[in-house]
Amino acid sequence: MESKKFFTGLGAAAMAVKMADVDVISSFPIRPYTGVMMILSQMVANGELDAEFVHAEGEHAQLSIVHGASAAGARTFTGSSGVGVTFAMETYSPISGGRCPVQMLIADRTLDPPGDFGSEHTDALLCRDQGWIMGWAETPQEVFDNTLMFYRIGEDPRVRLPQFNCHDGYFVSHIPGEVEIADQSQVDEFLPPYSPVHPVDPEYPVGHGPQIFSDQGPVLEAMRANAMMGAVPVIEEVVEDFGRIFGRKYPPFVEEYMTDDADFVFFISGAHAHTARYAIKHLRAKGLKVGLVRIRFIRPWPTAAIEESLSKFKAVGVIETNSSFGIVRQGGILTPEVCASLYDAPKRPMIASFMAGLGGETISLDEFYFIADRLKKMVDSEKSEKPVYWMGIEE
Amino acid sequence: MKYDTIKIPKEKLLPEAGIVKAPAPNSEQDDMITGSWRVLRPVIDSEECTMCYMCWITCPDGCIQIGEDEMKVNLKYCKGCGLCSAVCPVDAIARVPELDFEGGVVFQEELF
Repeated sequence: MESKKFFTGLGAAAMAVKMADVDVISSFPIRPYTGVMMILSQMVANGELDAEFVHAEGEHAQLSIVHGASAAGARTFTGSSGVGVTFAMETYSPISGGRCPVQMLIADRTLDPPGDFGSEHTDALLCRDQGWIMGWAETPQEVFDNTLMFYRIGEDPRVRLPQFNCHDGYFVSHIPGEVEIADQSQVDEFLPPYSPVHPVDPEYPVGHGPQIFSDQGPVLEAMRANAMMGAVPVIEEVVEDFGRIFGRKYPPFVEEYMTDDADFVFFISGAHAHTARYAIKHLRAKGLKVGLVRIRFIRPWPTAAIEESLSKFKAVGVIETNSSFGIVRQGGILTPEVCASLYDAPKRPMIASFMAGLGGETISLDEFYFIADRLKKMVDSEKSEKPVYWMGIEE
Repeated sequence: MKYDTIKIPKEKLLPEAGIVKAPAPNSEQDDMITGSWRVLRPVIDSEECTMCYMCWITCPDGCIQIGEDEMKVNLKYCKGCGLCSAVCPVDAIARVPELDFEGGVVFQEELF
């Protein structure tokens, strides 16, 4: 029996963590993510969840706690936001290099300055090269679903990598949405208990993270790269199995909305896809052939799926809710990846970046209309005016 | 374009995450001889030494060895960090420039 209730993104994550029966949770407060720890600590205190709840003295320690616990064989959960994510930066590579499938929730928060609490994806995206599975949820429902899916993907013996389970701070973390909470038996069928290769065993002690010889470095890195690349078919399989058990069918990597006859599309990751859909409905009523392409995983980057999807259109507007100063094409972090994905395509769309939602601002309907207007001009004139537009600044 | 995983020859594959069986065997290896990094050599004055083992437990590289009636230093791997000298309660470990010895910096096969 499934029941629908209103949950915030963090509430939905906490429910999923509880149903996944995690063993060790480590916390350190920073808003907005910290709400999930508030709920989980209550669950542990009330005896609803049998887990070790460890309060760390900072994010570096927080991640180190779950690193050790995961190496010992526990299913682990932690999280952070903004500068908390960057404070723990050193720990990410050892965790993925140690092949410990830790799950970390990131509810995005803008880095300092400007000392804004709003959602910008830069905090999580800075960690994209650390060997962690990474993806954004759009709604509290998807947060619930991703939490379960990420555990299953990360713990798969063919992958065994940690996961950044990201969603926009406030827009998803704190705004309630309708969530179908699954039955525990469905979760148990979907997510078997974690079986580590080397659980703590006094009969067979092992050393983790040993000093290696120089010729072993390239091999270990290639093995970690293979784990990440090998995750692509595993994700496809897990997402399909999720649909079978829970009845909610997601595309594994790329969600398309009103793209069948679209000339141009918004390319987006995360919560603002919600506003984009409304904008598209209005724009369609006015006769504009506009659609939406939403990416669900940033790592592994689904190169083939992006190439297949975006090469169908005449123009693509990459909506960047992140900043990377001085990056190639002077836009955000997603644009170079989108461009590179299309490099081998026989037919390539025109691409422009739209720097939007920076400092954690909302992306308003008007801004989506502006983006659509610029993309339409590109399509009509068959040439691109400039590579980057800064929303809220351009007239 | 099709993307594939990297083909790693079987004989090069390592255990996942490079995990090793513990405890590591008490042995020496010849792939990385760190004694050549040393600038100051620890020299133990056996007359002063009380065999308290402070240096033995402190050495980060396991280079201090317990002998019959004196402490010894494994100079093949000692990097000369000086921790043994710093913790010695009776100041029995001196730090002597490597070049003061015959064939100083003995493990440096050629100058850079």
